[in-house]
Amino acid sequence: MSRDRQPAPGRGSLRGSPQVRLRIGFILIAMVLSAFGARLVQLQGLDPNGYAAMAAAEGLTEVVLPAERGDILDRNGEPLADSVDGAMVVADPSLTTEKAPALAKFLATRLDVDYFTILPRLREKGSRYEYIARQIPAAQATAVVEAAKEEDFDGLWTERDPVRQYPADDVAANLIGFLGTPDPTKGEQPLAGMELAFDKILSGTDGEATYQRGAGNKIPLGDNTTVPAVDGQDITTTIDRDLQWYTQRVLRQTVESAGGSSGYAIVMDSRTGELLTVADYPTFNANKPADSPRSNRISRALSDPYEPGSVGKVLSIGALLDTGRVGPRLRMTVPGQLQRQDRPIGDWFDHGTIRLTLAGVLAKSSNIGTVLATDQFEDGELRSYLERFGLGAKTGIGVLGETGGILPGPGAWTSQAEDRISFGQSVSVNAVQMAAAVNTIANGGVRVDPEMVKGSATMADGTVVGTDTTTKERVISERAADQMARMMERVIDPDAGVAPGAAVPGYRVAGKTGTAQRVGDECACYDGSTTVSFAGFAPADDPQFTVYVVVQQPRKGSGGGSVAGPAFAKIMGYALRQYGVAPTGAAPSTLPVEW
Amino acid sequence: MSSPATQLRSRVPRIAGAAVERARLTVVPRTRAVRAARVPFVLFVSLILLLGVVGLLMFNTSMQQASFTMGTYQERATSLAAREEQLTAELEDLRDPEKLGRKAQREGMVLPTCTGYLHQDSGLVTGELCAAEQGTNLRLGDRVPPVPKAVDPDPIVVRVPSTDPGVSSTAADAAGDKQRERTSGNRRH
Repeated sequence: MSRDRQPAPGRGSLRGSPQVRLRIGFILIAMVLSAFGARLVQLQGLDPNGYAAMAAAEGLTEVVLPAERGDILDRNGEPLADSVDGAMVVADPSLTTEKAPALAKFLATRLDVDYFTILPRLREKGSRYEYIARQIPAAQATAVVEAAKEEDFDGLWTERDPVRQYPADDVAANLIGFLGTPDPTKGEQPLAGMELAFDKILSGTDGEATYQRGAGNKIPLGDNTTVPAVDGQDITTTIDRDLQWYTQRVLRQTVESAGGSSGYAIVMDSRTGELLTVADYPTFNANKPADSPRSNRISRALSDPYEPGSVGKVLSIGALLDTGRVGPRLRMTVPGQLQRQDRPIGDWFDHGTIRLTLAGVLAKSSNIGTVLATDQFEDGELRSYLERFGLGAKTGIGVLGETGGILPGPGAWTSQAEDRISFGQSVSVNAVQMAAAVNTIANGGVRVDPEMVKGSATMADGTVVGTDTTTKERVISERAADQMARMMERVIDPDAGVAPGAAVPGYRVAGKTGTAQRVGDECACYDGSTTVSFAGFAPADDPQFTVYVVVQQPRKGSGGGSVAGPAFAKIMGYALRQYGVAPTGAAPSTLPVEW
Repeated sequence: MSSPATQLRSRVPRIAGAAVERARLTVVPRTRAVRAARVPFVLFVSLILLLGVVGLLMFNTSMQQASFTMGTYQERATSLAAREEQLTAELEDLRDPEKLGRKAQREGMVLPTCTGYLHQDSGLVTGELCAAEQGTNLRLGDRVPPVPKAVDPDPIVVRVPSTDPGVSSTAADAAGDKQRERTSGNRRH
């Protein structure tokens, strides 16, 4: 039997032994199965979600649900910056070349575009995407494209292109900042001011909708998911739009009339520290930022350090009153010139030896009297007071690029420096810082942090600003502040003081002029130009507002009382009227200025 | 040998013998099979099927219709929202303080220089009362940008030595100023 089964030797040599064949067969099958297995592991084990997503994405449409940028509002809810749903009109030149002239004429009549600008774009060779008009209201863009279709023009469509509007053009533009032209992929481009500092809060998060589409419509029972957009939050500022506008116009007129190079005006709520106005001149139109030079698009009121001059006497004499060593009626003999260690100190007006009270020293703005009086400070005392008045530290109201000013350190604080610092030279400040320091007197000796944002908001660098974070600190006693206020009232007196132009008819006003030597931009030394200013508050016996006006580089011979004083009176008068602050009716200060 | 079960059965008395007899199975005589008509049933089922299919189709169609309507309305809502935004923006533009200020000035309105307050409770009038005056208005409107220095250079001043050796040029200037003041003063009075 076994002999029968023996294969023929000839056939065996051709097919080989069945065991070998079987083995080869198994190996082949195992290899194929291994390949299947490996592929299975790859599909299911390594990246199952990717394939599932690819399968699901088949036939799905994804659209971005754009988040609307938050508005920037004034204290009454009036918009300083708001977003409008805008659109751009885009053309495909491969479809528009044929009828380009007719289409260009059609578009030029309906959109604010130039015929000769868009004609080459409609004919651009090799391009399939050309901007025709950008940032126009969505309703208008859609209407134009539909009208074009009716007229048989092909190759036009609209795309989203958000529009940021600043309804009051230049009002508070230096604080608000502006956006650049939106980037089709990256979206809005904040470039300056609050738009940049608070971009995270304002911009919101885009949403996304995914749905199955058939014949241009959403399939009702198909898969669909929607992640709603989270709109940006509004930011409410403490700015009063009308007052800000009025202040800006008064400031512009003042700076122009005085031939100045720039100016700032601050209006502050004396009690809460809220900034009702931070005006800059020159300024720019936030709707057309490119029309103005870069230097006009920042807030000089916060980024320009300057020497405050005689307004600084309010701080040094106020601090001196707080020590209790002197009173407003302190009798002083003021010589015509004071020889000090390194140089003689003089007054702005020529005089021989005169007899002034401390109130008179302030009312007449005598440097010599101030230096003599502040000799009573102990070492380091004045510096510590000025530090607590907020000098040398940023106000942190939420403006990028703020300067902290320069308050000389204890090492550089010589007695000569102290002499000059007592009347506001050799120390530099920014305008908001100085307004807040003077406001300390108005607020009964308690310094309140100035704020520009209502509630609280987080800046890009993580700093939290806003009225919720306001801190208060007592700097001088209430009695000293009251004495100082009564002394400052004498500055406005037509007979006793130097700034009758700052009077607001019917109100008791306290204030102080400043005419400071100014450090020139080129020589970095006192170049003969000046900084004139006026800071004050009203009503003097129950202060509601603190106003500070500064003009840089006015014509020669201009003084704080004659240039900034009248501007102060106009702005203060407007603020008191607008907020219905009635005069207190109390008798004005009659402190003697001479003896 | 009999099993206990048999014994037990034999012990059970035969009860209801007649009933048991009756209940015994008997062969039922074969009757003619009654077959229900199949056609109505088939028709009935087909009808239900047809109604179902037609209903489903109509439901689907109405869903599609609703989808189209929703799409149309959504588009309309978007365009209306855009229109509203545009109108709001136009309104805001009209409320621009600068525009209002200029309009007020054109109407001849002026800013008050002082304010009086009438206190309702006491009937007192506080503050100063004075007439609002024309000519104290703010300068509004866009500024004309200053002409660059290159286009409007400073005047070239050439000091000409005085022909009269007794009078210096500054003294002559001062005298001229005084003369000008006098004439303008005369004109004013």
